[in-house]
Amino acid sequence: MSPAHFSIIEKVILSGLTLIALGSFSYEVLRRVFIVQKGLDSLPFDRFGERLFRVFREVLLHEKVIRERPFPGLMHALVFWGFLVFGLVTIDHFAIGFYKPFMSDSVHHAYSKIVIPFAVFVVFGILSLAYRRFINRPKALGKISPTSGLVAVFIVVLMGTYIYGETGLSPFVWKINWWIHSILILAFLFLIPRSKHLHLVLAPFNIFFRSFDQPDHTPVHIDLEGDEDELDAMLNDLTKLTKNQALDIFSCVECGRCTDVCPANRGGGILDPKYHFIMDLRDPLLEGKDVAVLDQINVEAGWECTTCQACTEVCPVGNHVEKSDEIRRLEVLVEGRVPQEYQKLFTNLQETGNTEGASSSPFADSFPVFTPGKEYVLWLGCFARHGLDPNFNKSVENFTKILDVAGVTYGVLAEEQCSGDPANRLGDKLTYTMLREHNMEQLYETKKVVTLCPHCAVNLGKEYGKYGSINYTVEHHTQVIGRLIDEGKIKVQMGESGKVTYHDPCNLSRMLDIVDEPRTAIQAASSNFQEMEESGRNTLCCGAGGALWWKKETQGRTHLVRAEQVIESGADTVVTGCNFCYGMMKQGLGPMTPEGRADVVVKDVADIVADNLV
Amino acid sequence: MKIAVLVKQVPGSETALPILGNHNWIDEEQVSFVMNPPDNFAIEEALLIKERTGDGEVVIVSMGPARVQKVIREGLAKGADRGIHLEEDGQIQTDPLSIAKSISSILMDENFDLVLSGLQSDDTGMGQTGVLIGEMLGMSTGTLAMETDVQDNAIRVKRELESGWFQWVKLPLPASISIQSGLNTPRYPSLRGIMGAKKKEIKVIPPTDHQTDSILQSIDKVFVSQTSKQTEMIEGNADFAVTRIIEILKSELKVL
Amino acid sequence: MDILVVLEDNRGSLHRMGKEAIAGAQKMGGSISALAIGVNADAMAGELSDVDITEVITINHDFVSSYNADGYSDVVSQVIKSESPKTIVAGHSYQTRDFMPRVSAKLDIPFIPDIISMDDGIVKQVLNAKLNALVTTSADQVILSFQSATFSEEAMVTGSCLTRSIEVNLDSSIVRSEAEEPFQEDAGDVDLESAELIVSIGRGIEKEENIQIAFDLAKALGAEVSASRPVVDSGWVEPFRQIGSSGQNVSPKLYFSLGISGAIQHVVGMKGSKNIIAINKDPDAPIFEIADYAVVGDVLEIVPKLIEALNN
Repeated sequence: MSPAHFSIIEKVILSGLTLIALGSFSYEVLRRVFIVQKGLDSLPFDRFGERLFRVFREVLLHEKVIRERPFPGLMHALVFWGFLVFGLVTIDHFAIGFYKPFMSDSVHHAYSKIVIPFAVFVVFGILSLAYRRFINRPKALGKISPTSGLVAVFIVVLMGTYIYGETGLSPFVWKINWWIHSILILAFLFLIPRSKHLHLVLAPFNIFFRSFDQPDHTPVHIDLEGDEDELDAMLNDLTKLTKNQALDIFSCVECGRCTDVCPANRGGGILDPKYHFIMDLRDPLLEGKDVAVLDQINVEAGWECTTCQACTEVCPVGNHVEKSDEIRRLEVLVEGRVPQEYQKLFTNLQETGNTEGASSSPFADSFPVFTPGKEYVLWLGCFARHGLDPNFNKSVENFTKILDVAGVTYGVLAEEQCSGDPANRLGDKLTYTMLREHNMEQLYETKKVVTLCPHCAVNLGKEYGKYGSINYTVEHHTQVIGRLIDEGKIKVQMGESGKVTYHDPCNLSRMLDIVDEPRTAIQAASSNFQEMEESGRNTLCCGAGGALWWKKETQGRTHLVRAEQVIESGADTVVTGCNFCYGMMKQGLGPMTPEGRADVVVKDVADIVADNLV
Repeated sequence: MKIAVLVKQVPGSETALPILGNHNWIDEEQVSFVMNPPDNFAIEEALLIKERTGDGEVVIVSMGPARVQKVIREGLAKGADRGIHLEEDGQIQTDPLSIAKSISSILMDENFDLVLSGLQSDDTGMGQTGVLIGEMLGMSTGTLAMETDVQDNAIRVKRELESGWFQWVKLPLPASISIQSGLNTPRYPSLRGIMGAKKKEIKVIPPTDHQTDSILQSIDKVFVSQTSKQTEMIEGNADFAVTRIIEILKSELKVL
Repeated sequence: MDILVVLEDNRGSLHRMGKEAIAGAQKMGGSISALAIGVNADAMAGELSDVDITEVITINHDFVSSYNADGYSDVVSQVIKSESPKTIVAGHSYQTRDFMPRVSAKLDIPFIPDIISMDDGIVKQVLNAKLNALVTTSADQVILSFQSATFSEEAMVTGSCLTRSIEVNLDSSIVRSEAEEPFQEDAGDVDLESAELIVSIGRGIEKEENIQIAFDLAKALGAEVSASRPVVDSGWVEPFRQIGSSGQNVSPKLYFSLGISGAIQHVVGMKGSKNIIAINKDPDAPIFEIADYAVVGDVLEIVPKLIEALNN
């Protein structure tokens, strides 16, 4: 290629267009940054190295993008890697127009040997993705997106003009080709911040700033004896996004992975996380130029959410998608609008400290009481205390049997009240405060807590800590069992017959990151263990999360979707690590079992281990 | 529009009910209390009427020991304006006429346009207080209202009759209406409401200022129903079963 | 007279609960007069011509030709004042609840409602029917209302009685209400919680095609239909019919369960039912532990025959 000559006029035009494009780009980006700045709290910089490493894996290596949708994910990765490679090319390209190329001829030539294959990959990638989007039209992508079409065309032409430009061209043709390429890039700059392609800029930052905690809801401090002005300010703040949440909304790439995995959506509900939790808030953010937009969330959809965090887990640009906490607490605390079915639940919690309105728990009375000399407080939870599924009581007893065999001492708290999970997840932060303060007093001298209920574990171990310092550790019973097996304190034989599978509870796998220990326990007792689809941190919620166990008007089939998958796995026994999952499986498997087939047996981890103790 | 809502605090539905040593009533010390569930609908209806007519005052009225202030506050937290607490000492009253006389003596000077009440209480279940007070204060009365429609100096209520029949009746104000459960969706108190309720007035009327001497009926004894659950097993062929079932439905359960 | 029985007009004929009240009065003993008010008073009296009571008093005045609380409470009060019965009884119907308290307040006579037994003193249910209460009165006169089916109209002792018509004075200012014509309404989403009779479907119904026999049985009995969760989850009936821990809580007079095993999640929603008839193939079904009548048999065989028998 010959060194081209650009006239003054051309340089002026080029400068002008570049300035406009850059100016427009900056304006749109800064406008959004400005709005993000208005958000509550601050963006986190702690655990800097971990955050950076996460960006490396998820952005550079495209880990999540590929894992959730392998083929489209790989195609996107090709386009992305091509984009990175093209960085130098683009700088060089514009340098030619303004002054002179910064790559020498030999460097340019050598580099092009790498770039041209990437350009081909990019074309292949973008065409595959375009085929998927416009011909296949998967549901998750929603309506036809003209900008996506435009972008696809841009990219193909950009690659085309690049490759063409590397062949021998007459100066005139080369110049035309050069201008086409430049104008497309400037047009791209114009388009990026006004569309979901802003994720090009924001995603790495968004992934960097993503919380390590799931879920990551802001605490709601309520002091009824306190200042009324403070309360007013707190209530006003409930409509405001945090900086992180605002950044999420601008980073959203509209891929619909969140909706794909949502159990409420899959069960036939109206909840569509992509729209209800993210997209619906974007225009209000931009139009209002402020962050008080949480009241725009669709209320009905908000009540369907199981708070399982599948949407957050799967988002490739690092969004904390779920916002049911935010809309529910607005409805409850500010508007006083609570679905009838939950009003009784709240009253029970307020009057009797448990979900059932019961005045006593004979089951709890059957266990030894905790005294300071004992190792663990055995936290039972309302489900076990008040027999929400009496079959599970046996599982609790099996766990204590295991503890007895291992010589581990434990006791229950006489004044144990509900951990508050239902109130917390349903937005009644006031009732939650009452229960939490009561329980914190009971746990004052406690060092170690073990519980069979992951919901209790999440609240006692993590949520409570947002409101004040806690001086105890919380373990889930599967962790204790797993450890006892590893330490040889209990001996388990592989006596379990039939095919066994495990359903990961969403609170246990995603929120507490406990995935291995239950498997250790199960595989000690069974030689025929097989994973279900959507297991581990990608588990599909059983439908009882978010206090939906108490939801009376079951409109969708949220609770049956997972049951169906269990049946399809062909397992004879399904093991689970959560009392709610246990109850839901017991109820849901029956109707889903085809005629003639034996009912799938439901066991807790404690059951399968106790059944096979040596 | 001045609206009084009669509310009662009753034992919760899941709480155990230990009977006192003298079998007179249950041991209230050991029981957890809640707002009488039907009264929730009456409060909500009163608040809706106030919102619909644009102005007015909703007053929560309750009779009982100090603990009933809790349910009065609940009503205030939902949006009522003030409360009246007729204090009781000793055991709770169970004679509807005495209760009505007490309450009427206090409501008389306030000249309420409407008195609303739940259809009956979950403790004694006498279901009369609203109508008794209506009569004592010279008001027109209506019961089991499934819908209300306030007009000029009158209120139309949709009475629920048996077997799926209904009837609209127009009553002049002042009127005392008992509200059927399920006609509206009771609101939950908002946090601001709960905070604000603390500052709203609850006038306490000491027992001497309202208690009447005449007690015409009382509950002497409470006991667990004697009918022990004897399950009758009906085995045999289908015809035999059908015959026996018809007999049960006809003679024993009397539903045919 | 000893007992005055206040009757009720059920669209032209005598309301069943009025007849039950007479049976109750007869059991209590003493001289009995029945009171029929309104445009159909004579027809109602005619229905009682072969019943063993002293008389039927009929009153038909323009202002009480059809029911209204003001008129009825005034008329009944006038009759009580002039006839001085020791006891006034009626069925505990919606109408009684509507006007009888007015009588009680006008005359300062205590009204003891919703009575379930007179065998050993006056007994009514309290605390959501969890306990019974013995009620006593110190007054000279008392008004009682009987819960539906506490007494049976079949138990009315036959004999003969007279009819006596009375004139009453009613001022036009007494009747303040304006009533429109009663009308029927499709209940829409059935309120199972207030239903007296419920037929409930469990997995023993086996197939969706068989659901209809449960609805037919309900129709023959005048009952509502509910179901256990698996039936709802299978999509065979609407979700609002679900009974149980994640459905509705009911305590009807009769809960007729068809092919329900009696799992705890279901039982918690209906264990307050006053009477339970359960049909199930399995003699060890847990539902039989709480049933009053346990029918061991095939729902699909028994129910069609039952419907046939009921319709005859």
